Amino acid sequence: MLNPALLPPPDVTSVKIGVSSDGVTLSGSITTKEPDRSLGRFFRTVHEAALQSRLSELRVDVRGLSFVNSSAIRVFIDWAIWVSQATGTGYRLRFVRNPNVTWQRVSFPAIAQLAAQHVVIEDGS
Amino acid sequence: MAEPSDTVPPARPLVLMRFRPVWTYIDGVREFCRFFCDTTFKTSDLAERASVVIQETLENAVKYSTGGDEAELELRIQSQGETIEFSVSSLPDPLHLPTLRAELSSIASQTPEEAYVAAFLRAASEPGEASRLGLARIRHEGRAELSLEEEPGGRIRITATGTVC
Repeated sequence: MLNPALLPPPDVTSVKIGVSSDGVTLSGSITTKEPDRSLGRFFRTVHEAALQSRLSELRVDVRGLSFVNSSAIRVFIDWAIWVSQATGTGYRLRFVRNPNVTWQRVSFPAIAQLAAQHVVIEDGS
Repeated sequence: MAEPSDTVPPARPLVLMRFRPVWTYIDGVREFCRFFCDTTFKTSDLAERASVVIQETLENAVKYSTGGDEAELELRIQSQGETIEFSVSSLPDPLHLPTLRAELSSIASQTPEEAYVAAFLRAASEPGEASRLGLARIRHEGRAELSLEEEPGGRIRITATGTVC
């Protein structure tokens, strides 16, 4: 289980980030110039915490994320690659998406292809 | 008496905006264009596609713009029948042009989906580098074809052409 108290989310304009014992929930939009510097670092911290606590699965709920730029998609790609390259037990990264949102419907299958054994896409309502 | 012309006069822009190449303007301009497409064409699908096209073309234009008074961006939206065109004119750093031409030519040589997947594979293999997903997103998510026009004075115009429905 993740300890949300140890994972304070960064303050990124226009995106709301929630942390729970089994993952992260994102809502709003991400269009900052360098999201890797804020969100990317936060995702990396969550990734390391998940490995340390031997989580079998981590949920990243993006259903409320209405729009992102390509630099933000890149941050999700990085996360998929970290999971696929993790040594030891590792964990499964489950993206919960809203298939009615174009960027989510189109980009998550492409991200899953990069790390097919480690990334799962779930369609939420 | 004037001879009848075979050429169709260019459609008058539905939207024409000029503004300084500043990152913080992008969100506002994109949201206006989303609202405009949603309200004018009554299709949320086009509004979503327009958002991707506007975001990625403007980000590229802002990132690679030179400074100075001539560097203003011009955004146009034109529509004729079922066709809609989004175009952004900018004054980029001349060093960026060969990269942009190569990127467009590589993307055009593949189907939109192939180019999109290839861009994801490249991003995954180049950690820490720029994403370079924008143009592939415009073609696949935005369902628009891209063209580049070089204008006098070093300006360029990137046009994304798609359908209203």
